[in-house]
Amino acid sequence: MRRNRQTLPIAIGAIVLVALWEIIGRTQFFGTTFPPLSKVYEVLASGQRQRLFLTAIGATASSAGLGLLIGGGIAILFAATRQAVLVTRPGLDRLAAAIHAIPQIGIAPVMIIILGRENAPIAVACIATFFPAYAAATRAFSAAASAHQDLFTALGSSRMDRLTRLELPAALPGLFDALRLAAPGAVLGAVLGEWFGAPRGVGLIILSSSQNFDIPMLWAAAVLATLMAMIGFGFFTIVQKAAARRFA
Amino acid sequence: MTSTHPNAPIVEHPAIQLHGIGKDFKINRRESVTALSGVTATIGRGEFVALLGPSGCGKSTLLRIISGLEEPSDGTVLVEGAAPKQLISEHRLAFAFQEHALLPWATVSENIGLPFRLAHRPIDQSRVKELIALVGLNGFEKARPKQLSGGMRQRVAIARSLALGPELLLLDEPFGALDEITRRRLNFELARIWAETGVTTVMVTHSVDEALLLADRVIVMATKPGRITTEVMVDLPRLRTSATLASPRFGELAAQLIGLLDNSERELEQSS
Repeated sequence: MRRNRQTLPIAIGAIVLVALWEIIGRTQFFGTTFPPLSKVYEVLASGQRQRLFLTAIGATASSAGLGLLIGGGIAILFAATRQAVLVTRPGLDRLAAAIHAIPQIGIAPVMIIILGRENAPIAVACIATFFPAYAAATRAFSAAASAHQDLFTALGSSRMDRLTRLELPAALPGLFDALRLAAPGAVLGAVLGEWFGAPRGVGLIILSSSQNFDIPMLWAAAVLATLMAMIGFGFFTIVQKAAARRFA
Repeated sequence: MTSTHPNAPIVEHPAIQLHGIGKDFKINRRESVTALSGVTATIGRGEFVALLGPSGCGKSTLLRIISGLEEPSDGTVLVEGAAPKQLISEHRLAFAFQEHALLPWATVSENIGLPFRLAHRPIDQSRVKELIALVGLNGFEKARPKQLSGGMRQRVAIARSLALGPELLLLDEPFGALDEITRRRLNFELARIWAETGVTTVMVTHSVDEALLLADRVIVMATKPGRITTEVMVDLPRLRTSATLASPRFGELAAQLIGLLDNSERELEQSS
């Protein structure tokens, strides 16, 4: 029942959005650069470009996934260090804030110079992932209940045992929540990295179609990027819910 | 006010010595509240003592000070002749909380085995089995806390606290969140288990019945500031069962304790 109550408004919202898009496109309300959704769909569904799209999706997904793993991994490692070694807290927090302050649009060309055109998307996805993952992970590590903390103190637990036997398992749902929140950012970071000159990927399609003024193609690429971000978010939502059932 | 109050018994083999314990909690930079003041008491080895008092009398704080989870602002605590932290570091102390504090991702057996792990000792599986039988949870070894009732979870918590054969068992209203019927049943069970182990035990409770069913001695506490008002020896024969509840002596002691608690309430009303 609860599920139905949630699904219905979402479905109605989605239908309204799609219909609105179609009407705006058809009536050319925002001019010719805003094509109807049906036209974007035609581009995506047409057989001739399927190979191009599949290669692009593969490239972007692997860059975003790797960036998410590395960025999320570093964030979780930082958060675990911060939890275990008190003196590192202020330093790590400031470092995280500094990394967050790096403008991705500024760092992407630098990454291309340092890491090459192939690896720049991974690096930008990694940077985009880091801060939201770090913020959620630091919160996750304090998820253990105070009674549990007292129990470990009274039983004479070492700091390491406390981390591995209490704080880490208690943090798992929150850590997957961190990856869930960071996933869309990783996709967008990868696309941005590609936009500055990667050999393939959704970002490259955006770049070339905008240069060729291929408006439906440009929109198709944007839709692809959005869908990938949503799929990433959805995937980690499922994982997070499973972890919450098991560990909380 | 560090002198022992008139009813304090002479303890031959002290396990816990409290002298002039005070505890202040800071509210902000200028203000603080006094949770405990001038608490002096001695608890003997192998004794079961109940700390009884209204909420806010600092009984849980006192228990946390005895356990070493909290530092007193004033006074000294000695447990088996050493600081409580010493006992903790040697894994000689056990604490059971009102919230069962079981690890939700671990099974009943794993939860009971946790003290072994934290003490870096090999898990004594036969001991774990024995404890599961002791608290009547045979067949639930692989169950997770979520699959158990409130009473069963507290049984696991009690079993876990006994795992390493502690020298000191501290119970902070372990049955406080349970319904009356379950609570009473667990009181009888704990009375039986305690009689088998004979471990020095301090239990915080606000239930007169619970104190009388379990304790050798009841330390009565009052609020504002949290302090000991008097002590009552519970001269009811062991092993206490449901028959104990119906005995005239139980009724007398209960009436006495209720009277003492009422008195301190009245004092408080008059002073405010």
